[in-house]
Formats: sequence, structure tokens, C-alpha cells
Amino acid sequence: MTAASVPSIPDLPIIHRRRWGSWVLGALALFVVASIVIASVRSRILDLSVVGEYIFSPMIVMGAFNALVLGTLALVIASIIGFVVALMRVSGNPILVAISATYVYLFRGTPMLIQLVFWFNAVPIMFPNIYLALPFMDAPLINAPTTAVVTPFLAALAGLSLAEGAYMGEIIRGGILAVDKGQRAAATALGMTQLKVLSQVIIPQAGRIIIPAAGNQYIMLLKSSSLASAIGYLELLRVATDIYSSNFRVVELLAVAAFWYLVMTAFATAIQTVLEKVFPQR
Amino acid sequence: MSTAPEQSHAVSMVGVSKKWGAVSAFTDVTFDVPQGEVVALLGPSGAGKSTLLRCVNHLETISAGRIYVHGDLIGYRLEKEALYELTDADISRQRQKIGMVFQHFNLFKHMTALQNVMSGPVHVLKRSKAEAAELALDLLDKVGLKAKAGAYPSELSGGQQQRVAIARALAMRPRVLLLDEPTSALDPELAQEVVETIRRLAEEGQTMLIATHDMSLARDVADRVIFMEGGGLAEDAPSKDFFTAPKSERARQFLARLLQAH
Repeated sequence: MTAASVPSIPDLPIIHRRRWGSWVLGALALFVVASIVIASVRSRILDLSVVGEYIFSPMIVMGAFNALVLGTLALVIASIIGFVVALMRVSGNPILVAISATYVYLFRGTPMLIQLVFWFNAVPIMFPNIYLALPFMDAPLINAPTTAVVTPFLAALAGLSLAEGAYMGEIIRGGILAVDKGQRAAATALGMTQLKVLSQVIIPQAGRIIIPAAGNQYIMLLKSSSLASAIGYLELLRVATDIYSSNFRVVELLAVAAFWYLVMTAFATAIQTVLEKVFPQR
Repeated sequence: MSTAPEQSHAVSMVGVSKKWGAVSAFTDVTFDVPQGEVVALLGPSGAGKSTLLRCVNHLETISAGRIYVHGDLIGYRLEKEALYELTDADISRQRQKIGMVFQHFNLFKHMTALQNVMSGPVHVLKRSKAEAAELALDLLDKVGLKAKAGAYPSELSGGQQQRVAIARALAMRPRVLLLDEPTSALDPELAQEVVETIRRLAEEGQTMLIATHDMSLARDVADRVIFMEGGGLAEDAPSKDFFTAPKSERARQFLARLLQAH
């Protein structure tokens, strides 16, 4: 049978099959979510007027701000530590590799909470006095009992930065290894020194690769700043805890804290999105 | 053995061997490439052609022998009958005069075509950006890609990427250009535009050492063919002679297989 012998077919509409199953599933899911929301509103888990009363209270906002500062500073310091650790790890020098691998194992392998409490308590015991002097200056820069210098903020910052540095080290190492070997060969063949290869070719490309993972870690750190409540730093959770321990509106104040953590997460996500736009994957 | 070879030779390989642990890539390779000559390195996969090229600019270290480029001993300093490896800075300086083009182009992905071509003059030779851009545009024009100056490698075809890579190497004004399988990753049509670019360089007298499987490159562009097999030089002949009357049985078999594939 040849094509010419096929009788001409009038233009007929094409009817697509209805996806009834997905409609049913969607309706079912919506029903479940709605039931949970309605049930929780009816049961009066939380009094919205109390939430409204505290959500912009100066203490809470200050706590949120402190959490943001702590998490952001910790990310910056952790990135610097992580960069050094990653370079040590890929250096090929067995001693540097062993030191960095041990650091990553210790600080990634123990809970952050233990590390925070440890730095807060152990440093003053190890070094009862801190004495820092610069040459050609009469008075020392710092001369004080360690307990006065190691504030909850510094202990929390050190603890979070050191713990996070181990994760960032692995993320940055992954980014460096993900840069195609040919890029390094091409840069080296042009006559670039190893420092130039690193600064002009490896870091720009690895930097782009690690943005999503680093954004993830930033969000995690903002929330991990709540661990500092254990050593008395006045961050968001600590402030909320202090308030509900006197007025017993536990759920309301946790909701307030959760709201601000969500705001911080939105902020971190926005930064990540902008960075990914400014440095698109080529 | 301690005397440096003639300065007129662009590249001199003197008894060069390369081993990976117990495995030998090639052994006791000796040949000279005079200034202005185009030499094709032919041979089956795994014959050590690419490794040999990477030894010439010290991307790979050699296990024995010496390599000279325009009389400079590459990678080492001869002192009291021993070879001392040079510093990173010294080796980088030697590489400035040795261009390299790779099978997979290896353009810097985060830079435009123009920035790629500028990268050597700016970051290695410390030229001003304006001066480097002018030179880079000229070179892009030469490889027919001036219109693509602002394009990123991911926006270019393989053939265009390879031509930008050639321009990037030329921006350093290399005395010798090493090309490692420059057309192997390309469709025949795109390979042809790269072959044309290389042919024009050959006509300008650019010294080139090309590891290749590409018949048109080896037969029509190269002056001379060095045939590597079984870890050594099997034949070294003018291009015309090699393709019409190969002397060794192995070269004959290799050519027969190559012709079959085309």
C-alpha cells in the first residue's frame, strides 16, 4: 500500500487522556492538610494575640539580630578555615593532609553542642589568664582573666566556626576537585605559576560550584546559633526561653522564634539566589 | 651528552624516557625539530604521543634523558653532572614560550573567548588589559572568530572552541606550539576548520609538534611524520614518503587500518 492510496483524513480534534488519578490524589492531599490546619486552630494550641504581642518585641528582635550576626560571622570564619583546610587536604603534602583530615574528623565527628560548651568551659581552665602584648608598647594589649575575655559570644563564635570549618573544608575540597583537570593543565601550560592557576582559574570555578552547598550550610548555621543558648548567649532561642519560663506561653514563644528563623532562612536563600544569578554556571 | 644541542633546533629530544612506576610510556626517544618545521606524531593509542608532548613543557616529568627547546634545558638545571629540577617560577617562565593546544580544548569556562585569549598576556606577561585585548581581538580575527569575542566556551561549537584555544596559545607568541590530538574530539566537518587554521599557521612558519590520528593533518599539513609504536620511535620520515612508502611493516599495518577507518 502506498501513501498515495491512503484516503484523505479530515482534520479531527485530538483528545488527550484525562489524568483523573492525579486530580483524586491532589484533592486527597489538600483535604489532609486542611484537616490538620483546622484541627490545630480549633484546639487552640497557640493564642495568636500572644504571638502578636511578642513577635516584634525589642528583646525578640535583638535575639534574632544576635543570631543572624553569630551565624553570619561563623560562616565567614568557617569559610576561611575551610579554604585553608581544603588546600592542605589537596596539597599532597602527607603531613598537611594528615593534620587537615584529623581536624575534619574531630570537628565533624562530635556534636556542635558539646564543642560549644567545651570551648566555653575548657579554655578558661587551660589558660586562666590571657596576656597579649605588642612590642614597643608599654602596656599590654590584653591582660585579663580568661573568663572575662571568653564571653558567651566569643565561645559560641569559636565553637560554631571551628565545627562548621570542618564541613566547609569538605565542601570547598569537593569544589576544587570538581574543576576539570584540563583547566589546571591549560593554565599551567600558559606559564601561570601555581598561585596564579589557583587564583585565576581554580578558585573562580570552584567558588561557583560550592555556592548551593554553602547556602545550605549558612541556613544550617543560622539555626545552629540556637545552640549558643546553652552557654547563655542572648540569641533568639535564649530570649524566647527566658520569656516563656516566666509567663509559661511556651508554644507561642516557640512560634515567634520559629517565625524569625524562617525570616533568616528567607534572607539566606535570597542571598544564594542572587549569587547564583550574578555568577551563572557556565 | 653534556653539550647542548644546536640552537637552531626548536625542539631536541635526547634519549628521553618516561615511566609510570614500572610501566614504560616510551623509552630512549631521540629526535630534533628544526625551527619552522611541522612534525606529526603518529601511532596507535597508548603509544605515548600525548605523554611525550606533555613532557616537552614539563606538564609530565621525564624519567631519563633531556629535552631542549631552543637550546634551553626544560625543567632542569645541569650542575656538576646532575640535573636539578627548576623552581615553579623558572619552569613557568620556560612554558611561556611553549604553546599548548589540548584535545578537549580546555578553555577557561568562566571566561569569554576574548578573556581566554587575554589570560596569558595579562596574568603571565603582566601586559595591560587594553594592550592584551587589542592583541586578542587580532588573534580571534585570525582564527575567524572576532564576532564571538564575547561568547563563553559553552556557547561555542567544538571547532570554535578549539580555534579560540589556538588563539589563546598564540597570544603568548610561542616559539613552539604543541598540539595534542587537536581534532580528535570533533566531527569531521568541524575538524576541517581546525585543520585549516593549523595549516595557515604552518604556512606562516610556526614550529609545531602535533600528536594526531587525523590523516589530513599528518599528510597535508605536516612536513614530517614521526611514527611511535611499542614505546619508541618506529619511523621518522618526510610526510610524503611516510604515506606513500612506509619503511616499517608496523607503519604499513597502521596506515592500512587508518585508511580503512576513513
